[in-house]
Amino acid sequence: MSSQPTGGSRVSLKDVKKAFGSNVVLEGIDLEIPAGQFVSIVGKSGCGKSTLLRLMIGLDSVTAGVLDAPALKEQAARIVFQEPRLLPWASVKDNVAVGLGEGQSGKAADQQAAAILEEVGLKGREGLWPSQLSGGMRQRVALARALVSQPTLLALDEPLGALDALTRIDMQALLEGAWQDLGFTALMVTHDVGEAVALGDRVILIDHGQVVLDLPVNLPRPRKRGTPEFAALEGQILDKLFGDDPRAREAH
Amino acid sequence: MAATASEGPFSRALPWLVPLALIILWQVSSSLGWLPPNILPAPTAVLQAAWVKLQDGSLVDNLGVSFARAMSGLIIGGAIGFSLGLLNGLSKQAEMLLDPTLQMIRNIPHLALIPLVIIWFGIGESARLFLVALGVFFPIYLNTLHGVRNVDPQLIEMGRIYGMNNRTLFLKVILPGALPSIFVGLRFALGVMWLTLIVAETIAANSGIGHMAMAAREFMQTDIVVLSIVIYAILGKLADSATRALERKFLAWNPAYAKV
Repeated sequence: MSSQPTGGSRVSLKDVKKAFGSNVVLEGIDLEIPAGQFVSIVGKSGCGKSTLLRLMIGLDSVTAGVLDAPALKEQAARIVFQEPRLLPWASVKDNVAVGLGEGQSGKAADQQAAAILEEVGLKGREGLWPSQLSGGMRQRVALARALVSQPTLLALDEPLGALDALTRIDMQALLEGAWQDLGFTALMVTHDVGEAVALGDRVILIDHGQVVLDLPVNLPRPRKRGTPEFAALEGQILDKLFGDDPRAREAH
Repeated sequence: MAATASEGPFSRALPWLVPLALIILWQVSSSLGWLPPNILPAPTAVLQAAWVKLQDGSLVDNLGVSFARAMSGLIIGGAIGFSLGLLNGLSKQAEMLLDPTLQMIRNIPHLALIPLVIIWFGIGESARLFLVALGVFFPIYLNTLHGVRNVDPQLIEMGRIYGMNNRTLFLKVILPGALPSIFVGLRFALGVMWLTLIVAETIAANSGIGHMAMAAREFMQTDIVVLSIVIYAILGKLADSATRALERKFLAWNPAYAKV
């Protein structure tokens, strides 16, 4: 499409531990994430998955072990939160420009912003206020803001968690398209096992601060939900999450 | 409801109906002799007084003097209130040092200081300036502080993650976030500004609208007294409309302030 592929960067964690005071949140985490991979991270609330994401993106520091992520040194890591966190008083275009950082303005910056807005399907809406957009469109602006500086590592903390079911499906396709076009490494935390399988090259399941499942997803894209292969992978993750408690699975 | 109420010439005339009816009633009562002119002169008499005062130039002179006083007081008191509001909103230490004292002073009605102010400044220009500035200081201070305090912390974290330095964070996140609250303060301040000026000019002044009213009282010129009151009403309304226009310009992003 209109934006140039930027490529991804790798992340590697060796025996990483994170504790807040005496409360150990993550322990013994070993992960090798190659450049350009789409990694889905799932787990129950409070399992430490968001903490893992914050570590990998440099928002928190590790307590012990080694985290090696070149994107952090190059300031090429970005994050999208569940809430869009847009400036309500800035237009769509100015919100995206926030992602370019200090002192980046003028023609080149305008072109970059325009290209990324086209990528997320917001061409022609540059001048609108966030209050004039739907929830899904606001999240697209947040995605454009994160992508405009051409990051090699993108963290997504339940990016679609606040959206309705139909908008989610739309946004999953958009996210997959942007990732395929731009080639960044994607780390996505989600509550939705189906979403994790639909988007991830690999699904990592965190439980009680440890990686309990690291499952490759070798299905062709775009993936169709409801196929036996898809359902089998989902089942495998849910089994690990809930054991054999049928009521818990039903609820999910 | 809201959509239909803002359309059509009838609904546009709606806010004017009650004032118009009151003025007609007033005029009729005066013309029929129910209202003696020494109690309340007819609207036409007030208009006539306005015409006379316009022609001899004293109306424009007094209006100019009052307006200049109001604005200088607003600018001085507003600037101090705004600066201290920002300082205390941004720095916890500054707030701990200054805010309790300011909250204490806030509870003194500033007009209670008039006798003291007259002793300090006499009845000169500085006395009135001091009172107006003191009056507008508190609404602006309190609302600026409140506005800065209530900027969404998630937006501030976002700004930090995107590498904004303190200056950019202030200009792009904190100040625009505090602006709606600051405008509320400004509108309160304008009300206090006119009130203080009226009192200060009626008690101790030799020019200005308030002085014009007090001088007219000595000669029982009720038409000029009423004219002064009407002028204050118009000035207050103009100040309020000006603030609304500013809000519409600077807060256009906020659906609550979009054109009604």
